[in-house]
Amino acid sequence: MLEDYHCNIENIRNFSIIAHIDHGKSTIADRLLEFTGTISEREKREQILDDMDLEREKGITIKSKAVRLYYHSKDGNEYILNLIDTPGHVDFSYEVSRSLAACEGALLVVDASQGVQAQTIANINLALKSNLKIIPIINKIDLTTANPDRVAKELQNISEIKEEEIILASAKEGIGTSDILEAIVNRIPSPKGSLHLPLRALIFDSVYNSYKGTIVYVKVVDGVIKPGMFIQAMSNDTKYEVAEVGIFRPKMQTIKKLTAGEVGYIIAGFKNIKDTHVGDTIIDASNPSRESLPGYKKVTPLVFCSIYPIDNKEYENLKIALEKLKLNDSSLFSEDETSEALGFGFRCGFLGLLHMEIIQERLEREYYINLIATTPSVMYQVTKKNGEMLKISNPSSFPSRNDIEKIEEPYVKVNIITPSKCIGAIMDLVQERRGIFKNMEYIDEKILKLDYHLPLNEIIIDFYDKLKSISSGYASLDYEIIGYQSSDLAKVDILVNHQLVDALSFIIYKDKAYTRARKIVEKLKEIIPRQMYEVPLQATIEGKIIARETIKALKKDVLAKCYGGDITRKRKLLEKQKAGKKRMKKIGKVEIPQEAFLGILKI
Amino acid sequence: MELGLYLHFPFCISKCPYCDFNSYQLKDDNQISSYISAFYQEITAYSQKLKKSNIKTIYLGGGTPTILSGVQIYNILEFCKDKFTIDKNAEITIEANPGTLDGEKIKILIESGINRLSLGAQSFNDLFLKKLGRIHNTQDIIDSYFLAREIGFSNINIDIMFALPGQTTEDFQATLKKAVSLKSDHLSLYNLTIKPGTEYYENYKSNILKLPSEDEEYDMYHWAIKFLKENSFEHYEIANFARPHKRSLHNLNYWQNQPYLGIGAGAYSFIRGYRYMNFKDPAKYIKEVMNDKLPIDHGEKLSLRNRMIETIILGLRIKDGVSYKKYKTRFGINLNDIFSKQIDKLVNLGLLKKDDCKIKLTNKGIFLANIVFREFVD
Repeated sequence: MLEDYHCNIENIRNFSIIAHIDHGKSTIADRLLEFTGTISEREKREQILDDMDLEREKGITIKSKAVRLYYHSKDGNEYILNLIDTPGHVDFSYEVSRSLAACEGALLVVDASQGVQAQTIANINLALKSNLKIIPIINKIDLTTANPDRVAKELQNISEIKEEEIILASAKEGIGTSDILEAIVNRIPSPKGSLHLPLRALIFDSVYNSYKGTIVYVKVVDGVIKPGMFIQAMSNDTKYEVAEVGIFRPKMQTIKKLTAGEVGYIIAGFKNIKDTHVGDTIIDASNPSRESLPGYKKVTPLVFCSIYPIDNKEYENLKIALEKLKLNDSSLFSEDETSEALGFGFRCGFLGLLHMEIIQERLEREYYINLIATTPSVMYQVTKKNGEMLKISNPSSFPSRNDIEKIEEPYVKVNIITPSKCIGAIMDLVQERRGIFKNMEYIDEKILKLDYHLPLNEIIIDFYDKLKSISSGYASLDYEIIGYQSSDLAKVDILVNHQLVDALSFIIYKDKAYTRARKIVEKLKEIIPRQMYEVPLQATIEGKIIARETIKALKKDVLAKCYGGDITRKRKLLEKQKAGKKRMKKIGKVEIPQEAFLGILKI
Repeated sequence: MELGLYLHFPFCISKCPYCDFNSYQLKDDNQISSYISAFYQEITAYSQKLKKSNIKTIYLGGGTPTILSGVQIYNILEFCKDKFTIDKNAEITIEANPGTLDGEKIKILIESGINRLSLGAQSFNDLFLKKLGRIHNTQDIIDSYFLAREIGFSNINIDIMFALPGQTTEDFQATLKKAVSLKSDHLSLYNLTIKPGTEYYENYKSNILKLPSEDEEYDMYHWAIKFLKENSFEHYEIANFARPHKRSLHNLNYWQNQPYLGIGAGAYSFIRGYRYMNFKDPAKYIKEVMNDKLPIDHGEKLSLRNRMIETIILGLRIKDGVSYKKYKTRFGINLNDIFSKQIDKLVNLGLLKKDDCKIKLTNKGIFLANIVFREFVD
């Protein structure tokens, strides 16, 4: 009867796996699940913990999950191991920090051929900040390009990790799995807490499920939580009756209670994910503990864009879809917005560009809404001549230049880890993005760590892709916000057929405005199909035209041949084209395809 | 029921690099004989079902139907006459590549009852013919044409392609002038379209193929319409031009969205509201027929709505346009009751002309016909 299996808090281990993207985190998780019999052969899938389509496709984990493993250790004792999965991308480092707060240890996975990456260092720092015991693992030692000795040296160079602590593994081949499990038991401390104290449980995540409502992931620090109990969140007086508690194996499995040290889920009639703030402490309503657990830092969106339905009739659906996504994603921000060109939509805030792409894709794929998303922007601080201070993330609400005293933009501290031979190209790239060099150090003779300060705006569009491409995929990047600095910025407007398309406006460093405006009108000329009349395209700053192109009128659009069999096929082709046109946004008389809005991002 | 009959012959001496029709390079003559056996079988299978139908037109297309021997063609048509009811004044057309005709063959074609010849000339410039992968040259076209005239064809069409890679408007004008100088009865004018799966498509994607610009294409087509009118051709369909009383009846039947039966690999049929296609692969086609099955790959019963739409977009291709009266007779509904919104919009855009008895494309609408058609589809 495993369901009701509880053990002493001394025999519980809570841990995460932290790794740079693609270093094998999910594969290691798979091996641990298999080795401990948590999943049977039949249930085996690659990357078991990633259950959203998008997660599988992008090869990353978006939402953290917590799985309970039962492990019979070589010391003869039975242990409960709670594996708390974390995302691997820099955008989601806040999720990593949440998950880590529920753990006492972390497996640090590093690829045996790629070695230490920017994210590896960021992960180590996060783990140390959360006082976690780190178990370093060098993975993929089966690869012909593997060089575990080099990677081991790198690890020792960047941290306090000692050589004898490092476990060599190949999750693909199943090498090292048992060593890892033993290390978890022997090196990671058991949770500190007491069964006999009043309930305190830490919320480290929550998901919304249309059948079960809000499911809250908790780590019980003190006391017991079981169905029938009345609980409340410390930040809130509303009381809820616990309907169900359970664990993940990895599927949801109801159990009778969760006790101190254990990780699992609770369902308690929370109407809304907003009632269950991540980082909040859950307490027993009839026997409240007075001391809250240390929470998490509040998440602030860094990247903003506007999202509009192509078909205005879909506005309501978009609104509902965003609400639903927000149920599962407390870092997603949205508020109503109206555009002259695009109608009703939303201004949304994201953790980063990947987060933005994922949300856009989910809206399109899971909710079937065709979207237009505007160029991403950051939050600017504008001081007006009258002394008024504005925070502006939307170019369309940018004040006139004459009224502006000072504009400041957010800067980030970027650390880039790269093979030393790529340094020239990377320096050029960073310079072109207005980077300020801060520091450089060797991790080993061939690998460098570079520190730069850069405007956030310069890295939110294709910086990561460019970095990857100039370093043949080897360089990696991590960044954190360091504050605001004043810059000479201008707002560029785009006019299509003499009509301002507010959704295409963008804010840019003034010296770059002309070149970018030029490229954008050229790109738009390519993307916007010819219409029945000539369409001028203009880019302006404060009404002054800085770039211009003309789309010539469409003269010929006719199927030459059409005989017997063709007609049904051709009708269907025309239907498809028509559907394609429906995916275009009509601005004035001009039909602008969705790609126009996306295409200019890639310039 | 009146019916058009289409007979498809999917073999060619060589496959042209731009062609995406259902045609294959002939490997050996046995392919033809086993194909013809299947062909007879398919015709027989339909003969009972369509006994009461009156066949008004027959079209032998391909591929290259004239790759068959004269006797083979003669026998096939005799077989058709035996199995179907064919109107005694039926228009019977055969497509022919200039390189595949000689006097003997032309004689047999006429004896077979074929009364219309469609010559796949494509160009009157040897350089472009070579680039198109054609097996004939300009002289072959001229020789075939006059030979056919001499032996007795009084209705000859010439196919011309334009907007070829590297072609200038002047090049095209020279070709069309030569074509017109032959005084054929009918001209079909197609702009080259690059179709996936062809050699041209691959070249186009890798930027090897330099195609004329949209504006140049417009100039060629625009000039051609004017030039052919001056030479007493009637522009009676988007891509087709005819001397008086020499419109292609078989094709008109398609554009009027009337029923037809297609025999052979990849042939389409449209009978009793069903539009369906035979298996394209000749081997598969033969196998199905030999197993006593109709060789249908896929098809569908068209909804009333789709038949109404297809009738409009086909009908608008013809100069005569779509007549309210015929439309009402056929569907029992007034065209303007159902599509008034689309019609008004297109009239306002200057693409459609509307009078008391019909709608038709304007001159501008002919060039932008797809915009018009897209308006009518769902």
